[in-house]
Amino acid sequence: MKKFFQWKKVVSLSLASLMLALGAGETVQASSLPYDTYNYDYREYIHYTPAAYAPSGSIKGESLTYNGESLGKFTTPQDLCEDAEGNVYVADTGNNRIVVLSPDMKKVKNVITTFDNNGQEDSFNQPYGVCVSERGRLYVADSQNRRVVILEKDGTFVGTVQDPVSESLEDGYVFTPLKVTVDYADRVYVIAQNMFEGIMVFENSGKFSSFIGTINVEISVWEKFWKRIATKEERSKQQLYIPTEFTGIDIDPDGFVYATNIDATGVQGVRRLNPKGEDVIKKGENENVGGDLQIDGSTDYAGPSQFTDVVYRENGIYTCLDRRRGRLFTYDYEGNLLYVFGGLGTQKGTFHMPVAVEDLGDKIVVLDATRAEIMTFSVTEYGRLINEAVALRYDGDESEAVSLWQRVLELDENNELANTGIGKAYLTAGEYKLALKYLELGMNRDYYSIAFRRYRNELLIDNASYFLTGILVLVVAYQVFKRVKGKKKGKKEEGGLLNG
Amino acid sequence: MAKYFSKEKWKYLFYTISHPMDGYYWIRHAERGSVPIAILMVVLFSIGFTVNRLLSSFVVNDIDPRGVDSLYELIGVLVFYLLLCVSNWSVTCLMNGEGRMKDIAIAIGYGMTPIGVMFYVATLVSQFIADEEQAFYGILLGVGIAYGVIMILIGIMQVHNYTLGKTLITLFLTFIAMLIIIFIVLLISNMLGMVMTFFRSVYTEIIFRT
Repeated sequence: MKKFFQWKKVVSLSLASLMLALGAGETVQASSLPYDTYNYDYREYIHYTPAAYAPSGSIKGESLTYNGESLGKFTTPQDLCEDAEGNVYVADTGNNRIVVLSPDMKKVKNVITTFDNNGQEDSFNQPYGVCVSERGRLYVADSQNRRVVILEKDGTFVGTVQDPVSESLEDGYVFTPLKVTVDYADRVYVIAQNMFEGIMVFENSGKFSSFIGTINVEISVWEKFWKRIATKEERSKQQLYIPTEFTGIDIDPDGFVYATNIDATGVQGVRRLNPKGEDVIKKGENENVGGDLQIDGSTDYAGPSQFTDVVYRENGIYTCLDRRRGRLFTYDYEGNLLYVFGGLGTQKGTFHMPVAVEDLGDKIVVLDATRAEIMTFSVTEYGRLINEAVALRYDGDESEAVSLWQRVLELDENNELANTGIGKAYLTAGEYKLALKYLELGMNRDYYSIAFRRYRNELLIDNASYFLTGILVLVVAYQVFKRVKGKKKGKKEEGGLLNG
Repeated sequence: MAKYFSKEKWKYLFYTISHPMDGYYWIRHAERGSVPIAILMVVLFSIGFTVNRLLSSFVVNDIDPRGVDSLYELIGVLVFYLLLCVSNWSVTCLMNGEGRMKDIAIAIGYGMTPIGVMFYVATLVSQFIADEEQAFYGILLGVGIAYGVIMILIGIMQVHNYTLGKTLITLFLTFIAMLIIIFIVLLISNMLGMVMTFFRSVYTEIIFRT
């Protein structure tokens, strides 16, 4: 017997080594990514995932030509955006120009440096933000000229937005627009420097209408207590509690404004403002749309993520750019973190000072101000599957999304969204046992509970005859037992009496 | 051994749970309780606590199983039990309490029994409940804990022959005494560590000089 086992061991060992030898023939792909790709699970643990987007090159100003001449380096470019045809507009802030690139970003279509402002030649001074409206007009936040310039696509001047007049603005207020976006009705949303009251909204006539999305300052009881006991002199030296400014802005086709701000607590770095100006973002399972969840530490690299820009993509998906660690966080419309990629560094595909992000179909591009480059990231199989599955769920086709989620699971076994998606589909299909399995893996307690109740009821109904028979048998057995015992007791008592 | 785990002692445990006032009185005056059974009940409580955290159904259980360590919890509960007994004894000694260490140990140990049992029952029940029925699970646990706390209160009241008010005061003082004990233990261990390092450095000094 012992020998047999030894023989078995030898065979299994040799088989294993054979398989190893065969496996060595395949090219093993080491991760060539310059950054970590991960996600946070229900318990806020990091779990590493395949990359959703992989770096696919970068575009530098000096490698482009325009009218036969080199375009020259970008100088601290600050913003970029895409129009309906896919052309990319780059606000080359330091060079006071707007560069228009073709959709593949290999050719320069136009460079706007000057325009005809009612007969006078006019130019930009530090154009900081750029945006193309649905009508195809170009809006440039011309920061040091204190105005937003509106141009047609070919560069002809349309008008400006400047000198906002309102009671709520201080006297001598200097309007310094940094970021700009436009909704379907040509209302202009501007993030201005040192404007803590929110995003400035202008009518399509250029008249200032209101602020939206004011971020309220939250003062803790402890801070209030210290404030109360401090003297006037001490108070004057204390730091002021002022709300944070917005940093980046984008708009979805329905007119909801997505705006990022730097949140010191790392809970909410992005807002979704409805036309009334209320924040209607959903924060997902972890109650967080603020980037990284594990932010402990005392180095520069630790601390909450600092979102500097956001891009609304499609089907409720939006991506935020974190400048602290150079990561891109993508959320779905429920606020679930879909995937994370990107990082700071000096390698290809990493950032030094990322400032703006834009979505070009199957590519995501990030503008780096210090490197003066546009980094492109192309979607991988993993990212594409998630994007498509979320899109299907957004449209309400959860059952169609199942095959996609299953392929996501093949790539990333612990993906909670995929498990939940499959579980929900099984739930609607009436496969409660499988639904229970997947919903538990997806940590979705609500749907698990529903599936469990249905499963339990099904079990009860299916086995009702057994249960009822069982109860009947128990009752009868109890009665019989009672009688028999009663008789025995009676006998004993009789015996006792006789003996006594 | 048989003396501690005899049938009468076990029966008396159940009598105490159903009639705490009377039960605790005779524990003090007629030696009807058993310290080993009390300790066993504390262990049962600790295991029940762990079982509840690990095995109750997903519907009601939000505990990360990676954070549950049964041995660690057992030691924690036993140390807490010891600390509670010692500090209660030291406080009641000064406040004319009639109870002996033994009686306190039994009062607290027996009082923990309903909580421990309810952990098992609730864990079992949790396997059959869905969404809205979570309240039942909560009620089960709540009733167990409330009954246990009341039992411990009555137990301490009876073995020391206190009024309710005085019991509450002593319990508060017991809590403070626990903190003091913890403080002193930490202080001593810290001091001992310093002394140890001193002697170790003297030793290394001698080694290097010779």
